[in-house]
Amino acid sequence: PSVHLMELGAEAAHAGLQVRDELSEKCQKLFLEFLEEFQDKTGDALYLSDAQELIRPERNTLTVSFSNIEHYNQQLATTIQEEYYRVYPCLCRAVRHFARDHGNIPPSKEFYVAFSDFPSRQKIRELSAARIGTLLRISGQVVRTHPVHPELVSGTFLCLDCQSVIKDVEQQFKYTQPTICKNPVCANRRRFMLDTNKSRFVDFQKVRIQETQAELPRGCIPRSMEVILRAEAVETAQAGDRCDFTGTLIVVPDVSAMAFAGTRAETSSRVTGKEGFEADGIQGLKALGVRELSYRLAFLANHVGPTNPRFGGKELRQEDQTAESVKNQMTVQEWEKVFEMSQDKNLYHNLCTSLFPTIHGNDEIKRGILLMLFGGVAKTTMEGTSLRGDINVCIVGDPSTSKSQFLKHVEDFAPRAVYTSGKASSAAGLTAAVVKDEESHEFVIEAGALMLADNGVCCIDEFDKMDLKDQVAIHEAMEQQTISITKAGVKATLNARTSILAAANPIDGRYNRAKSLKQNVNMSAPIMSRFDLFFILVDECNEVTDYAIARRIVDLHARNIESVERVYSTEEIQRYILFARQFQPKITSEAQEFVVDQYKRLRQRDGGGTTKSAWRITVRQLESMLRLSEAMARLYCSDEVHPKHVKEAFRLLNKSIIRVDSPDINFDQEQDDNSGNGEMDKGQNGAEVNGHPVEAMDTDEVEKQEKPAAAKPALRMSFAEYKKVSNLLVLHMQKMEQLDEESSLKKSELINWYLKEMESEIDSEAELVAKKNLIEKVLYRLIHYDHIIIELTKTGLKKISEDGDEPVMEEDPFLVMIQYADDLYFANHNICFFIVIF
Amino acid sequence: MPTVHDWISDPLGVVEGLFAQSNTCPDWEKKVVEYFKEKLKPNDAHTWVPSLNDVPLHYLKPNSLVKFRCMVQDMFDPEFFMGVYETNDPTLDSKQVKCGKYKDITEGGQVDFNSRNTVTSERQTFYCVPIPGESQWVKEISFTWTQKLARVVPSTSYVPNRHKRSYEEDDEMDTQPQQMKGVRAQSSAESHGNIEPKRQETEAPSHDSSPSHCTSSLDLNFPLPGEKGPACLVKVYEDWDGFKLNDMLEVFGILSVDPALSVIADEREASSLLHPTEGMETVEEQRVHSPPASLVPRLHMLYAQPLVHNNPLLPSRSFYLNFYYIFTLHFKAELLTYLTHVLLGDSLAAEYLILHLISNVYSRRDVLPLGKFTLNLSGCPHSSPYTEHLYKVIQQLVPSSYRLCMSLHNMNNQRMVPRKDYTANRLVSGTLQLANNTSLFLDETQLEQGQLDATGVRNITALGNLITWQKVDYDFNYHQMEFSCNINVLITSEGRSLLPSDCQVHLRPTLNPPNLEEYLSAVQVAQVPSQLNKYRIYLSVARALNYTISDEITKAVEEDFVEMRKDDPQSMSAEDLHRLLVVARLLSLSNGQNTLSRDGWMKAKQLEALRMSRTQQQKCVNGNEP
Repeated sequence: PSVHLMELGAEAAHAGLQVRDELSEKCQKLFLEFLEEFQDKTGDALYLSDAQELIRPERNTLTVSFSNIEHYNQQLATTIQEEYYRVYPCLCRAVRHFARDHGNIPPSKEFYVAFSDFPSRQKIRELSAARIGTLLRISGQVVRTHPVHPELVSGTFLCLDCQSVIKDVEQQFKYTQPTICKNPVCANRRRFMLDTNKSRFVDFQKVRIQETQAELPRGCIPRSMEVILRAEAVETAQAGDRCDFTGTLIVVPDVSAMAFAGTRAETSSRVTGKEGFEADGIQGLKALGVRELSYRLAFLANHVGPTNPRFGGKELRQEDQTAESVKNQMTVQEWEKVFEMSQDKNLYHNLCTSLFPTIHGNDEIKRGILLMLFGGVAKTTMEGTSLRGDINVCIVGDPSTSKSQFLKHVEDFAPRAVYTSGKASSAAGLTAAVVKDEESHEFVIEAGALMLADNGVCCIDEFDKMDLKDQVAIHEAMEQQTISITKAGVKATLNARTSILAAANPIDGRYNRAKSLKQNVNMSAPIMSRFDLFFILVDECNEVTDYAIARRIVDLHARNIESVERVYSTEEIQRYILFARQFQPKITSEAQEFVVDQYKRLRQRDGGGTTKSAWRITVRQLESMLRLSEAMARLYCSDEVHPKHVKEAFRLLNKSIIRVDSPDINFDQEQDDNSGNGEMDKGQNGAEVNGHPVEAMDTDEVEKQEKPAAAKPALRMSFAEYKKVSNLLVLHMQKMEQLDEESSLKKSELINWYLKEMESEIDSEAELVAKKNLIEKVLYRLIHYDHIIIELTKTGLKKISEDGDEPVMEEDPFLVMIQYADDLYFANHNICFFIVIF
Repeated sequence: MPTVHDWISDPLGVVEGLFAQSNTCPDWEKKVVEYFKEKLKPNDAHTWVPSLNDVPLHYLKPNSLVKFRCMVQDMFDPEFFMGVYETNDPTLDSKQVKCGKYKDITEGGQVDFNSRNTVTSERQTFYCVPIPGESQWVKEISFTWTQKLARVVPSTSYVPNRHKRSYEEDDEMDTQPQQMKGVRAQSSAESHGNIEPKRQETEAPSHDSSPSHCTSSLDLNFPLPGEKGPACLVKVYEDWDGFKLNDMLEVFGILSVDPALSVIADEREASSLLHPTEGMETVEEQRVHSPPASLVPRLHMLYAQPLVHNNPLLPSRSFYLNFYYIFTLHFKAELLTYLTHVLLGDSLAAEYLILHLISNVYSRRDVLPLGKFTLNLSGCPHSSPYTEHLYKVIQQLVPSSYRLCMSLHNMNNQRMVPRKDYTANRLVSGTLQLANNTSLFLDETQLEQGQLDATGVRNITALGNLITWQKVDYDFNYHQMEFSCNINVLITSEGRSLLPSDCQVHLRPTLNPPNLEEYLSAVQVAQVPSQLNKYRIYLSVARALNYTISDEITKAVEEDFVEMRKDDPQSMSAEDLHRLLVVARLLSLSNGQNTLSRDGWMKAKQLEALRMSRTQQQKCVNGNEP
């Protein structure tokens, strides 16, 4: 039989048809030995039970771990790897012998071997003709599957001249008749009939895989590869899956090439009768042996498995992975870099700047997004409620601040990220749609942005422009991490385990600081509460930042170099995040205490009783804090969440929680020269979104303050803020009083306590000065206007210190007491809840 | 030694010659490429080569050297072929080693597949289409220039051949006019008794016998509707990783149109159900990957030149363009006058239109495309053919362009984003698959009230992303894939466009011609071709110029920005600065300056102030309307 198509690459094989192939025979022997002898840890023959399973009629494939073979006999493994196509039939024969020795199987049954755990992996782009015939593993996304067909492996033919039966005519990828009837007196070479009942078939399926995005150079069309699956490997891969295929490259000529090169050329060389007509025109040319020069490669796979994390770490998350297995996927240099990064003391900062090299400032947002990429740990409570680990972030900001750029950056960086605009996407586009296929008239589910971003990030620009319907749809995705659709009789729940990074414009075009966040954005409260972090970008104006902005933009235009300065390259960060995401940090007891502590504090500060505030500190913020802490721990590749992680999480959460309520408290004596909110905007520093809107200040204060730095003393603050601060002070005083009935606090002590309390929010010296200035004003007001605190000066009861600090004491205890009792109760209640969860 | 033009009429002869020396010279393949590169080096040399763009396929000699100005529309999977093979002639019982490179089919006798001499090589196939939206003037000029230069060539043996653009063999003393060609070809084939299959030409018998099914169902996959011209399967042998999708190329290669390639004819009888492996490709795939060579010829690439632009009036290398700008300085004033007339006397709009036409994404910093300048020309009359005429004017000026009428029907029905068809395994093109520096004219005046369906929304989103990020997300079904582009988008609308833009200019006509159409045609007719050519050169040159900003100016700009913010922070945002710098860049370039001066900066500011005040006024006008 002519089987020359295969020989092209694997030239070794062709000689073996008539001649006995010693290598193959040796391989068969060794492989059989391996099957018989290889033992697992307990000393049992590992493959015995598997082989016995093969007795079942639907089974015919024995899966063997390649690493076991390597372990058993390195030379055998090397031979199989290098001469795979040549020795494969004898390996299958070995399986047959093995199975026959250990069970009663029909003699005609064919067996196959499949190799799992093949160590190295090739990119589709790297496959070349040189690899034909060797054992390989490739991975790709399945884009098309064909139906399963029976394939003839061994034919039994009936000679139509003398009726003799010719058995076991081996078939090699094409229909092969016997060359000549075995009956010596019959010279029939052409008229045979296949006896399908006595021939042997195997299941056969073609699928097409496509290069994954991670392996694709920019600006190129992904390459594809036809994969041939046989026996038990059929139907294991579905369109859309990402799979690993172990097998070998084979050469497949086109239909025409096949036909001309082989049988037909033979027949038409003796043109007789009817064939003569066909053999004119092109047919005639072909008959002369003209054939196409080109071939295609196909991949003949024996084993299909789900793909483990991508090479190069393009995929940010992956289930069933451990840090160890991710590490094993990396090259030595890649691993060294990851290790080096994990040791970087400035890692947090360096990652932020490397991730967004062209965006100036906005450090908090960068940090928030970075933690979003690391993500928290998804958990399931004992009751079976699953808690998401994904962190959702929302950026609210004035037009022409770099909101969209943040989103675009993330889309660019994270491979499974989708960028969509709330304005442009209807609910169908965002979630999923049921669509009637034009050709088949079948209903199919078309993936929406959220589904496409499954296991990634969904960046939604103009979130506020989204239809209310869509906001509801997205609500489910954000909390349940699934999407349900019931349309056209199709009911489905689809996974949408995605982080959401949203950008929204304020209602009035510009962010109005006089209003609360909720009043500023067009979003429903439930949706708002699903965001872990809210950041506010305000087009603020001061010389320093203006210069920085100008420099960045001009620099962008003046320099023609495409490169951007970053400490770590995008690939390095991706790889690092992939690695770090495999950590499932557990919260330590100290951290737990710290969380409780911080949460209590947040609740206290929140407990101003201002019910109209949009941003109540609830258990959701506690969950957010935990997620952020876990992300922080992951960032440092830590298995445990430590208080320092919680501290940063708390700080970030604090920065992101904005409560700007009216009316503002003006601390200045000359109240008249302040004319509303417009002027307030001007004086405010809002680049750094701050839990405290207290940075509002008057221009004359600037002069007093030598430093023109970001933070300046604020002489105005919102009422709620004022209330919060005063409550804190009062509570502390109350506490101190309870401890010691006799003592009273000095003013300086109180201020110092407060500043210490606010430490996490203070970034610079200037801010400290500002805070101090402010607290003095607050105290002044408490004493002189609200009469909550009474100032005891010379008439003080106890100590009068030398340095002239005025002691402060006594207040209206009744009012304050009630408020606090109330709030503390809630705080404690929530903490109990939290402890139940973990 | 090959004679002067043998390398054009018989490039395979050159290849064979060098291949014959392969024993002594192992890098003969490199030599082949170098040989042709060298031959094409003289300034005019490439114009001697007949072009697939200009000459109908059946007039071209098979296996001759041709060129093709095209865009890479799709990239197929790599293909393996016998770079060297051995044939066995059964009648003579002799063996011969042959070269398979630059060829599609084997020749001479039975191929010995078991030969030790066989060398398997790899090549890549690109599906190339003529540059989408290429203006008529580009086609005409490149054609006439090729013609002119071809006549000048002092080679006697070549000129008549070239002149006739026919596929006759040199040795045939044939003087019949072109119209007779078909008849003659057949008769000559008969008289030669069909000895040499190579001679059998494009009018292959297979198509005569079965004309129905190749032409009817074959979609040549042009990005734009109504496009004509040959599509080509370009086989690339060297450095294919250097080519990207949508690249503009001038390919020099060996034309292969052998009818034996048309496998469609036999696919029916060949398919066998028993052995599904026999056809690795489905019918759909085959139709796409092996279309009839008479419709989609194969071109075996010897050399390809990436095109920075497709303006035939200029040398294709960007390096030379910088020398040109001195000569083009005074063209701007004339062009400005012309465009002012076209824009009904609005010189500000004309100035901005020039800035738009010379804009170019010169760099990308991270996700930010720099240098793009999408212009929204609002205030265009709604129900008049004005925009159509405006487009015609632009078409006359730029090398490639497309007018997309944003009617509801178009938005809901046109395929804009290319989509991967996994059945046929190809990238189905869409309107937005355009080569660099194509002018996309979005006519929003054609939009009417109504309902956008899912496709419409997707299309609008795609247009928005194109404008903002200069990227198109191709649809790969299981995921989207970003392809960066460099497309100049001009939006004409009545009010402010619903799409984003970098800059909006509200048209304020100072002329009110009684008959708009007559007026516009008069303006256009007044421009003689030589004048138009000046504009064309000017625009292409200005767009390609290098540009720098000195440290001194950088500083001045920074200070200026801070100063402006001090006065009125609302008046100047970061985005405004960004745009101002783009305007300053384009304005300087349009004036032939390749660096920003203080004066240039001030002018840009003034221009922007003028434009802003107009938009402000426009807002007031709109606000006052009941």
